[in-house]
Amino acid sequence: MTLNSGDAGFHLLPGDPPLVFVLQGSRLYQIDRDLHDALARSDADRTAQFVTDIDATVPRRRQPGELEAPTALSLNVAQACNMGCEYCYADKGQFGGRARVMSSEVAFAGIDQLIANAPSDTVTVGFIGGEPFLNRELIHTSVAYAERRAARADVKVRFSVTTNGTLLTGRDLDLLRAHAFAVTVSMDGGPATHDRYRPSRDGQGTFAPILAALAPLLAEPAGARIAARATIARDDLDVAGRVHALTSLGFHEVGVSPIRTGPNAALVFQEDDWGPFLNEMIGAAESEWRQVSAGARPQFANLWSAVKQIHRGSARPLPCGSAVSYVSLSAEGTFHTCHRTIDDSRFALGTVGDGLDTVARHAFVRARLVDAQEPCASCWARYLCGGGCHAEVIASGRTGCDFIRGWLEHCIRTYDEVSRQRPELLS
Amino acid sequence: MAEKIFPRNLTARAATVIVGNPVTTRLESGVGNCFPGLEWDHRNLDRRFFPGLVFDFGPVPAVLNGVEPNDPALEPDPEDDETIQRRVPALSRAVSDRFAVLSRTGGQWALVEIAQGGRSIDVSRGVFLDDPNRIWRVVRSLERDQVMITLEWRRATRAGRSRARQTVRLTHYRRRYVNPDTGTISPVYKPGELTQSLCSPWQHDFRDCACNYWASNHPDIALGEDLPGKAELPSGASEDPETATQPLDWLRADRRSRVAASGLDFENDDRRLRHYQINSEWQSLAFVLGGKEISAVYAPRDERVAAPFATPEDLAQQLADLCGLEHVVVLEYLYAYFSLREPTEGRMNRELTDALLFARHELLTVAISEMRHLRWANQILWSVEKLAPKVPKRGPVLDLATEVPGRDGRLHPRQLRPLLPEVLDDFIAIEKPSGRLDGAYSRVVSTLSSGHPEVLLQLARQIVADGMEHYSRFREIKVVLAPHVAAGSSRPPVYLRPIELATRREAKAALDLYHGILRDLAAAYARGDMEDAANIVNARDKMTRLEAEASSLARRNLGVPFF
Repeated sequence: MTLNSGDAGFHLLPGDPPLVFVLQGSRLYQIDRDLHDALARSDADRTAQFVTDIDATVPRRRQPGELEAPTALSLNVAQACNMGCEYCYADKGQFGGRARVMSSEVAFAGIDQLIANAPSDTVTVGFIGGEPFLNRELIHTSVAYAERRAARADVKVRFSVTTNGTLLTGRDLDLLRAHAFAVTVSMDGGPATHDRYRPSRDGQGTFAPILAALAPLLAEPAGARIAARATIARDDLDVAGRVHALTSLGFHEVGVSPIRTGPNAALVFQEDDWGPFLNEMIGAAESEWRQVSAGARPQFANLWSAVKQIHRGSARPLPCGSAVSYVSLSAEGTFHTCHRTIDDSRFALGTVGDGLDTVARHAFVRARLVDAQEPCASCWARYLCGGGCHAEVIASGRTGCDFIRGWLEHCIRTYDEVSRQRPELLS
Repeated sequence: MAEKIFPRNLTARAATVIVGNPVTTRLESGVGNCFPGLEWDHRNLDRRFFPGLVFDFGPVPAVLNGVEPNDPALEPDPEDDETIQRRVPALSRAVSDRFAVLSRTGGQWALVEIAQGGRSIDVSRGVFLDDPNRIWRVVRSLERDQVMITLEWRRATRAGRSRARQTVRLTHYRRRYVNPDTGTISPVYKPGELTQSLCSPWQHDFRDCACNYWASNHPDIALGEDLPGKAELPSGASEDPETATQPLDWLRADRRSRVAASGLDFENDDRRLRHYQINSEWQSLAFVLGGKEISAVYAPRDERVAAPFATPEDLAQQLADLCGLEHVVVLEYLYAYFSLREPTEGRMNRELTDALLFARHELLTVAISEMRHLRWANQILWSVEKLAPKVPKRGPVLDLATEVPGRDGRLHPRQLRPLLPEVLDDFIAIEKPSGRLDGAYSRVVSTLSSGHPEVLLQLARQIVADGMEHYSRFREIKVVLAPHVAAGSSRPPVYLRPIELATRREAKAALDLYHGILRDLAAAYARGDMEDAANIVNARDKMTRLEAEASSLARRNLGVPFF
């Protein structure tokens, strides 16, 4: 495992060519072998010269600025689900309570506030659950309502939905196409893998019905963009196989996510799993890059989002937009920091009746800044990682940091190759 | 950067300072001028200074060149004075009817008077007759306020003289050229109107520019490119002194020639690109970077930034070492100085006399400059020690270093030697930019750049800058003395005395003076910024006497054994 050099202002990546990642501004430089070796053995003069040359001093801790209103809101239109996935963080869609659906009053009020306070000319309305299509009519009416309100306010509105795909009708597909939805379908791989983890409530496989419902959209997506999101349980760490199976079905992109928290401990990652999982991720990424360097379209979302982040030199003090640019609204009208924290009072940010609680948002964000986290404050990857999912870290601590660093090192190395061989992918 | 460090991602690239053309070469850095205007001609803006009217500032007096009945500036502006607002309809009628009709009848409306703020200027006579730009300058100086202009209808008589027929006075607000809210230029200006009359670079104008002002894309002179295999100094200058100092005519047609630049426009005219050539061969003109032509792909030079010292102790030790080095080179240079024959000695041709006059003057100048450095290095040291009281005190340092840097970059034992050609080469090496001495001071500069008084930084920078000058002076001495060195001969050059080290007894008077100087300086420097002027005066007096004593010894072919 690589040395964690976060208490310096830079991190060395040996290999060919040697690279150095500078924490300030997430800058990446190529250096010659001689300099690399001098820095690796902490040659005092050359290290001091290098730090001066490219301003690679240790970054100062950042303070949060003023928060603007969010640009994205997800509506938990149905806190209920027709499936019985064992690893579901949301207690099979119900977030620890009874099954509920959102009313149009709550949805419309949330949309009104999002648009009225929009700090930019584009906002995003997401639909989430549970399984959001259990409350199909609200999705349809909310889209129409949001379009109407946005037009009046001269704001552009985009839509997204995360669905298990089992309930989609032809009318739903038309809606997704017509409004250029970003559709994320929870699928775990080929038929055997998927059905093992994602049965229906009565224990039946769901792969076939999902594919039947989704096939027309995959064949004719129009403006919609369809991604698969696979959840990886500790008893089957295969990544490349899942990515291959799902891209073969026609998904535009595939992302994977390990189970860090969940009701079934047998499926939640343990400390020993991160090493093998890193190997799996790197194997999948190498396979992907082999194909893409030969001209194929990028599809493995985990790799490409990191590569683009490295290209931009993204240096973020937080892991995601949660509570900053994005909030989630529960079925009963309570704002939460994101869809993962619905109905958890530790993450509550006011009600749709009273409006977003600015004080609570600021307090949450200030407490969650990566510079304020341990052991993040001394990690070289802190401004690429951001400190890890708030919900997961608060629930079960910070695990798998070596995995994150190893993965980011691989992505940095891949970025170096992409920028030489297929720079157009980065534009 | 000395190391090979290549930025890879966007933020790294954005943070990298590119060595090359400065920002002043960008279009947005352009300087306005009016002859006829390379980047911008203000007259194109001011011709519409009076709403509804368009003037031509070419003739004297300026004449009305057109009317603009639909000028938005003729619309009443609620912010303007009510009286003016009432006059606007009449003014509009005048613009659209009277001027337009009369202008077609063969005469001209001349702008004869401009009045604003109770002052009125007749712009049709006097100094204005000599230069139409003077009229324009009056217009340019008008404020955004009410202005009254007087126009005269003039038609040329048969005798060729113009005669006034009618006079019209108009009052309105001077145009608001730029919308104060949006920054946009008034829409009354037509596309192309503001850029008309500008020069056309890369065409004939580029060759025949008469204002001798061009943006930095037209260097009149440039230093020649280094020929293949010719070395470059660390500063980027050519090692060949002629290439380094002789500017060429950048527009020369034969790019391989080395036509020297001339201060006279016509002198090189025949050797420059002709008009037809410049239209088709402008690509042959060399890019110039850092004042020097380049024909190949430009490879930026490293901009070395020295690493600062980690602790005040390190800085103080380095300064103490530098004091010793400055001191010892003073003595080496002085010994070499006294080894040179005096131009007043007999049996010497004119060339040798001139060469010696030059070499002695230059060498003494450098030696004195190094004495000044000895003082400045001590001054920086005592200031640093004052800022960091915990640092063990080292100063004042008037010791001698035992070794000096040589041509091979290594340290060699100090030596008192006559100015033989190889000794001069050693002196050049000591002062070489980015050499050992210069490099050491660069780290001092870097350390002093933050957290220290500005004066210390300036002193250190001045020492570095002087080093460059010493280097040039020594190289010039070498050029001047070179004709007086017999190639292949083992005999010493004719400009040298057969000087030898005097014994301590022979040089007792000189050495006593030298040690007296050191005592005086030590006493003065020990008090830091409160130095006692009397000690300095005493030291100076001893220096003058030492110079006389050393000269006297030199005439007997004896050199002062300083160490």
